[in-house]
Amino acid sequence: MSLLCKRSISASWSVVSILALLMGTASAQAQSLDLTIGALLESTGPLSETGPSIEKAATLAVQVANQAAKDAGIPATVTFVAADSQGDPQAALSAARTLVDKNASCILGPATTPEAISVLNGITLQRKITLWPQASSTRLRAVKDDGTIFRTVAAADLQSKALVLAIENHAGKGKNVAIIFRNEPYGDALSKTFTKDWEGRGGKVLTTVSFDPQQETFDSEAGQALADNPDAYVVIDYPETYAKLGAALVRTGKFDPRKLFVADTLSFAKVPGTIPVESINGAFGVAGSSPRGTGAYALFNKLWDEAGGAENGSYTANTFDAGILCFLSAVAAGSTEPGAIRDKVRTVSQEGARQFTIENLADAVDAAASGEPIDYVGVSGSFRFAPNGDLTTGFYDVFQYRDGKQVTVEQVNVK
Amino acid sequence: MATLVETGEAAIEDSTQPPRFARLPRPVILLLVLVAILCGLIAVFGPTMAAQATLNGFVAGGYIGLGAIGLTLVFGMLKVVNFAHGDLMVSGAYLTILLAWLGVPLPLGMLLAVTGTAALALATEKLVWRPLRRAGAGTLQLFLSAIGLGLVIRSTIQFFAGSQVRTLGANVVTSIAFGPLRMGTLQAVAFVVGLVAMVIVGLALRYTNIGKEMRALADNRALAEVSGINTSRIIDITWTISGCLAGLAGVLYATAIGSFNPNFGITLLLGLFAATILGGIGNAYGALVGGIVIGLSQEWSTLLFNARWKPVVGFTLLILMLLFMPQGIFGRTRRRS
Repeated sequence: MSLLCKRSISASWSVVSILALLMGTASAQAQSLDLTIGALLESTGPLSETGPSIEKAATLAVQVANQAAKDAGIPATVTFVAADSQGDPQAALSAARTLVDKNASCILGPATTPEAISVLNGITLQRKITLWPQASSTRLRAVKDDGTIFRTVAAADLQSKALVLAIENHAGKGKNVAIIFRNEPYGDALSKTFTKDWEGRGGKVLTTVSFDPQQETFDSEAGQALADNPDAYVVIDYPETYAKLGAALVRTGKFDPRKLFVADTLSFAKVPGTIPVESINGAFGVAGSSPRGTGAYALFNKLWDEAGGAENGSYTANTFDAGILCFLSAVAAGSTEPGAIRDKVRTVSQEGARQFTIENLADAVDAAASGEPIDYVGVSGSFRFAPNGDLTTGFYDVFQYRDGKQVTVEQVNVK
Repeated sequence: MATLVETGEAAIEDSTQPPRFARLPRPVILLLVLVAILCGLIAVFGPTMAAQATLNGFVAGGYIGLGAIGLTLVFGMLKVVNFAHGDLMVSGAYLTILLAWLGVPLPLGMLLAVTGTAALALATEKLVWRPLRRAGAGTLQLFLSAIGLGLVIRSTIQFFAGSQVRTLGANVVTSIAFGPLRMGTLQAVAFVVGLVAMVIVGLALRYTNIGKEMRALADNRALAEVSGINTSRIIDITWTISGCLAGLAGVLYATAIGSFNPNFGITLLLGLFAATILGGIGNAYGALVGGIVIGLSQEWSTLLFNARWKPVVGFTLLILMLLFMPQGIFGRTRRRS
């Protein structure tokens, strides 16, 4: 082939390539952003009380995101897929695979640390899919996650501080406390952090009883915890086992529910029928919450009430915000590729950038789509993610069970 | 003693006489060991704490023992390691819930649920075990079939009733006080019923014709058949009794514990087998005593270690006991010929 001929072919290929590139770009600009958000729900298992409200929160996030995209005039749709993680690491991994098969680009949940670790190691780490667990154990900080775990729920060290404040305010400072916790990462980490925090404030931990949740009876555990007549008892447990443990506590004849302080997993709008009322009525507890009085909080509650169905519970706003953050990150990335979403999470929650809430989410979508860093202020507050993906501050409700229902008595902001 | 497993082989005197303590009957040795441990616990922790842990041990062991009676019958007589036994217990609990949902009063519902579980156990014999025996299935095939059957029963319950926690609504917070000691009222009822069931089954095996035929079948099936015993009928009766006991255990467990899900049977199963083996396979008294020994060891251990180690201590003791008395507490020694 002559040199002239070669040059001619080469020039033709260049023109074709440039044209193809231009057409491709134009096509990408017009291409719709079809994002799928997955959720691992505790529909069954020891935390099944939380399943319906978390599902409703995730569904609301998807609805709000779709509306914002429509209002902003960008071609984006968000689809919601969910699977039951059953409170079991193996089942959670299987459920996560189902979500990934359905093209989930980020996954909200799961609610427990063993499940989160199983899902991370089994599938999400490899595919760079962001995981937004409601699990609060500090153990999650120790796992290698390649920046894929973001928690809109404050970790156990912040919850421990909230528990300390609740006990000081409602039982008194420097009191004698007994701790009863289920033997798993969540209970273990929170009990250790609480012991350190409580003793650091001049209080004393009389007894620490950990129990195997697979046991049939907890009478010995209950008796040991109350043996020294503590001024307060901290219970870190799930509803399924507390139904048995609570009954055992009452059977000791020494139990006063007003001395009981429960961690966030025993927070429900209405006490489930499986838990004896005598074991929880009058008890205090802490649960992740949202700053009151904001427009975003009012709008979220309005949307929640209008949607009907499940009652509002703990970590619903946090789950909702996780869904919105995932959506905004995808818009900012202009892609539903999980790794691209992961890399934009901090761009849409950037301190000092223009602030947006769900009240003006369409504007946030516009700004994110144009490449501007934004600061999404969620229903549950601002998101200042530490390098490990954890929040650096957290809002907690201190509540009390009265007549079988949860009543918020105060709110604390812990750092 | 109502034991189904016998060897019929001649005894041969061992030339080396064991120490006098070892020549005592095993139940007596066990009793002495338990009393010694209790005395030690009283000395270290005081009578109230030791007594309360003992009471808790009887309660926990009672649940295991009651469930194990039906299991040991089938294990001892038919040599079937019935991994579905825990799920038969679950059937009893969920049948009660179904009947309560249909408006049947709770006591009547419980009675019908026990009957229903017996019918289910009999159905498994007709549909699974008998065809497997006729096909010449070996121990491994029967073992795997039992695991599969348990899974089918459990999944069927989950399909219709869901996996969420259920309750029969009984009052589980009331307790009976014995001075400073406390025992849950329903726990006491479950324990007494377990004791009564054990005595009835034990006496029936020893003194009734059916009991004698069951023991004959367990001892040597071929010989029982040539002696004119209708072995098919006896096997049916064994499954029915085992199902009745599983249903009763499931209903009482669900009532006294207060809340449960379809997995409670599989969770209990390891304890049930431990009690069966520890008590001596095929022995109704042994099943309950085995359960109580496990319950006591677990609850006593909470005085010495954190409660999280309870199951570990219980099963370590089981291994140790089986090292020293491999036939179990009430099992017959297999003599050398």
